Amino acid sequence: MTMPFYVSPEQLIKDRAEFAQKGIARGRSLVAAIYDKGVVMVAENPSASLNKISEVYDRIAFAGVGRYNEFDRLREAGIRWADSTGFTYSREDVDARALANYYAQHLGDMFTEGQKPLEVEILVAQLGNALRPTKLYRIAYEGTISDEPHFAVVGGDSDTIRDRFALAEGTVETLTSTLQNAAAALAGPDRVLPADELEVCILEDRGNRRTFLRLTDEEVKEMLS
Amino acid sequence: MGLPLFSADGDPGPSFWHFAEGAGLTGERSGTSSEAPHATTVIAVRFNAGVVMVADRQATGNYIASRDVRKIEAADRFTALAISGSAARGIELLKLAQLSFEHYEKMTDSALSLEGKANYLSPIVQRNNLTSPLLVVPLLAGWDVSRQQGRIFEYDGAGGCYERVDFATIGSGSPFAEGTLRLGFREDLDREAALDLGALALYEAGDNDPSTGGPDFVRNIFPMIVTVDVDGFQEVPAAAVGERFKTINERRTESRGVAGGTLR
Repeated sequence: MTMPFYVSPEQLIKDRAEFAQKGIARGRSLVAAIYDKGVVMVAENPSASLNKISEVYDRIAFAGVGRYNEFDRLREAGIRWADSTGFTYSREDVDARALANYYAQHLGDMFTEGQKPLEVEILVAQLGNALRPTKLYRIAYEGTISDEPHFAVVGGDSDTIRDRFALAEGTVETLTSTLQNAAAALAGPDRVLPADELEVCILEDRGNRRTFLRLTDEEVKEMLS
Repeated sequence: MGLPLFSADGDPGPSFWHFAEGAGLTGERSGTSSEAPHATTVIAVRFNAGVVMVADRQATGNYIASRDVRKIEAADRFTALAISGSAARGIELLKLAQLSFEHYEKMTDSALSLEGKANYLSPIVQRNNLTSPLLVVPLLAGWDVSRQQGRIFEYDGAGGCYERVDFATIGSGSPFAEGTLRLGFREDLDREAALDLGALALYEAGDNDPSTGGPDFVRNIFPMIVTVDVDGFQEVPAAAVGERFKTINERRTESRGVAGGTLR
């Protein structure tokens, strides 16, 4: 009988974390921030059809970075979960916190027990109302969940982008200036991101049940100018 | 419910109904009761820039169960969906349709075509009607965004879906409504004429069918009238509907209840 090589749990976790981080670092990053009337999500995304940001429910949005096939499956599962929860109970019973917890559990399970950890980071945003607060939940590849009070950055170079954005955006601002700050933070000092390389979506009350809106390139262009 | 993740071969795709059936959310289809409130008249009429839909407000079992049921719902911005038959199953169908169209849109980031929505309901109606004594028959009318015209789809009890280019009716009052529509329908009706014709057809159904509620001047409850056109689903305000039926009623009183061989 052959004995497998012994690998210490510390080493195993470290290897897995490194693997996931490398995968995530290959993709572009995403900033989500609360502005005076809602939540805006800004992703660097040269593709106009392979989206990183999606509507999940009336007041909930999903954003993912890293491997597209992996976070897109999580996105679909989130929409199914939200729609079936609303179908079984009521629309007002669909809560982003519950969804974020499921994502955290799944990512945690895949990190420790899966064939390989998922190379994704997830963001779940909720627009608040009388029942629930506005929230940004960030879920990392190993299942760590954090509740960000003002803004969140997910993706490869997230620490640098976070610092740049924090410096520019001291308090909650308007959509236009938050979008400008997010685009500048994603681009860095040496380049400018054109509107067609940004994917921008918002959650904002516009008198309808559904609050999610995908901004067109023209709208983004106008706000960035 | 946990996170509904699927592998690629077992994935139900963007269809909420297929997912819900698999997850057991839609409940069992069996039983022998047929006492649920039913019977209805719903009318859809095409006009040159959209569709008009009219429905009575009464739910009938062995007696009148409710006088203010809303049998037409906006399935989405450009689609009106009405139900006849079992109230319980009809409401479930409405809820499923609304949810499924929105679900598809969120999953794929594109809206279903009107024909796609009409076809989607076929197996749901079939599944219900062939496995349950509580029958439900929907009527779908909407604005086809790609063709830029109003379209009407009716269903038979087995779920068959048929497009109608003129008008369609469902429910026990259909024969009476249908007669009026056959006499009054013209190609290229305008909106106002289609509203007139739809209201008159419903008046006739309410007059002749005991299970269809006509205008109720005592309680000020009037049939529901909606239009779907390039601007989407719009309900005609109750006051305007009341005026329309008041006019018909006065005409009919003058002629002592006789239509008089013309559309009055």
